[in-house]
Amino acid sequence: MSKEFSGVWATFEYLDDTCNSIKELRKEGYRQLTTHTPCPRHEIDHALGNPQSSIPWFTLFGMFCGSTLAVVIMVFMTLDWVLPVSGKPVISVPSMGPIFFELSVICAIWITLFGTVGLILKDTFGTPRPTSKRYKGYDRFMRDRFGVVVPCSEHDYEKVEAIMNRYQAEEVHREA
Amino acid sequence: MSNITYASINDDILKSLEPPGKAWLASFLVIITALGMGIFAFAYQIRHGLEGSGINNPIGWGVYITNFVFWVGIAHAGTLISAVLYLVRAPFRTSIYRASEAMTVFSVMTAGLFPLIHIGRVWNFYWLIPYPNQRLLWVNFKSPLLWDVFAVNTYMSVSIAFFLLGLIPDFASVRDDSKGLKRLIYALPSLGFRGTNHQWLHYMRAYLLFAAICTPLVFSVHSIVSWDFAMGSIPGWHTTIFPPYFVAGAIFSGCAMVLTIMIPMRFIFRGFDEIIKIKDLEGMAKMIIFTGIVVSYAYASEFFIAYYSGAKYEKALFWYRPFGELKLFFWGMIFCNVISPIPLWSKKIRTNIPALFVISILVNIGMWLERFNIVVTSLAHDFDPYAWANYKFQWVEIYITIGSFGWFLMWFFLFVKIMPSLAVAELKEALNPPLRSAK
Repeated sequence: MSKEFSGVWATFEYLDDTCNSIKELRKEGYRQLTTHTPCPRHEIDHALGNPQSSIPWFTLFGMFCGSTLAVVIMVFMTLDWVLPVSGKPVISVPSMGPIFFELSVICAIWITLFGTVGLILKDTFGTPRPTSKRYKGYDRFMRDRFGVVVPCSEHDYEKVEAIMNRYQAEEVHREA
Repeated sequence: MSNITYASINDDILKSLEPPGKAWLASFLVIITALGMGIFAFAYQIRHGLEGSGINNPIGWGVYITNFVFWVGIAHAGTLISAVLYLVRAPFRTSIYRASEAMTVFSVMTAGLFPLIHIGRVWNFYWLIPYPNQRLLWVNFKSPLLWDVFAVNTYMSVSIAFFLLGLIPDFASVRDDSKGLKRLIYALPSLGFRGTNHQWLHYMRAYLLFAAICTPLVFSVHSIVSWDFAMGSIPGWHTTIFPPYFVAGAIFSGCAMVLTIMIPMRFIFRGFDEIIKIKDLEGMAKMIIFTGIVVSYAYASEFFIAYYSGAKYEKALFWYRPFGELKLFFWGMIFCNVISPIPLWSKKIRTNIPALFVISILVNIGMWLERFNIVVTSLAHDFDPYAWANYKFQWVEIYITIGSFGWFLMWFFLFVKIMPSLAVAELKEALNPPLRSAK
């Protein structure tokens, strides 16, 4: 599961409070923040400095795999059993279009899906998070509450708590 | 509207996952009976061969291929709604897209059965797939029929992937709302999703890419299905208008099926009427108006080209369709697809739920008739008068068609009880977020 964690986490009822606390925490030098929201919110992305995902690389890789596979199987199979029809070219590029397109799409989509699942699992199991029952059992993040998790050392607990409380966090907890 | 909150969306949608009531069980029994009829007829066909269907010489493609094209068409609306309308940020999409996506997956699963049923010797289905066989013969990559195998499989596979991706955060919502074994069951497909910024970041980027990739797929699949016909030299098939005509027809029938499914859902599940708003259904009605016009134009264009081209076989066929033995199918199609959507021009009708429901069913019937007209009448009346024939329905194909509706509805009924039938996270995203400054 998650690596050992030291830090503070808080829950919020309002989105603007959450964003303001994130901005202030980042200003204070806390950059490795984890947030929880019931749905994707661009306001949180902006507050976090618009991070980018590596997913498009999976898609690009999948598309190249699919298109290469399409060309290889069509050329190989056509040359392996030559079927000349009405003097038309044996390897006909226009007729390759549909299968080239379909295989590119199917590979791009599945590799993107596997990449997404992998990255979600990596975040679930690889990112340091609070290990307490209270955090793990908190089941309102997907329902109607926002959350901010701040990894920090013992010395910073009070400072982080003060920022959370300034923005009217509902609950603030220390995790050692 | 103002009383909808993040929590109320959760509660209303997850309530639909409660154990089924008597009405659900009774309906499911009817559905299973319909499916049973189909399975029985298919078993009969395996034993006795295709003599149980109306297929004859020269009408080698009959009800099964009609059903195949019909179900692929129904599937179209789901991807259109989840991909194309997502990219253009259509506001009426959010409440209906999950059920439409499910509809897509189940209709492609239904469509995929028909080529297998149609080939008669179903145990030889794998001849469609390029594999190294003992005759060292490969499939013909220049054949539109093979393109269709790739297109439909890609479409099914991509629809399932898109559907599963969208479900990840909603499974997490169900997990957090349940206890015991149910919690454990939903924890597995939710992949530990807890709505963190990292998870949403990858999820949203993947969703956008899926939408972008699926958009051309919406147009390619039915275009390729249309080439099954258009690349043949039969009068009534060999025409360049087929791809756009088929795509518009597919969206037309798919939108109608969305209404046919969403209207009862809205009625059955309490709270859904606040989420699936009249204006969402009206949005679908507008899509039906638009695609209905394209389809009507295609009908008119086909007749005009048959006359204007001077091709006597085309002329003969387009005389045969409205005045030949199968004229009832033609006029039924015209009534359902051209005339019945006309009342939707009135806002009063577009916002009248019973009227929308009736029109959606008529359009579904009309689109089945359209596919029957295309597939069967052209083969019944090709170049050589000596080979002309009529098509007579047989009980086996009728039972199998009823069974296909049973198969489709069985999956849909299971879906509404197992998975959130409306998209929880996206509905929340469409709401104004809770802001202290707005208090």
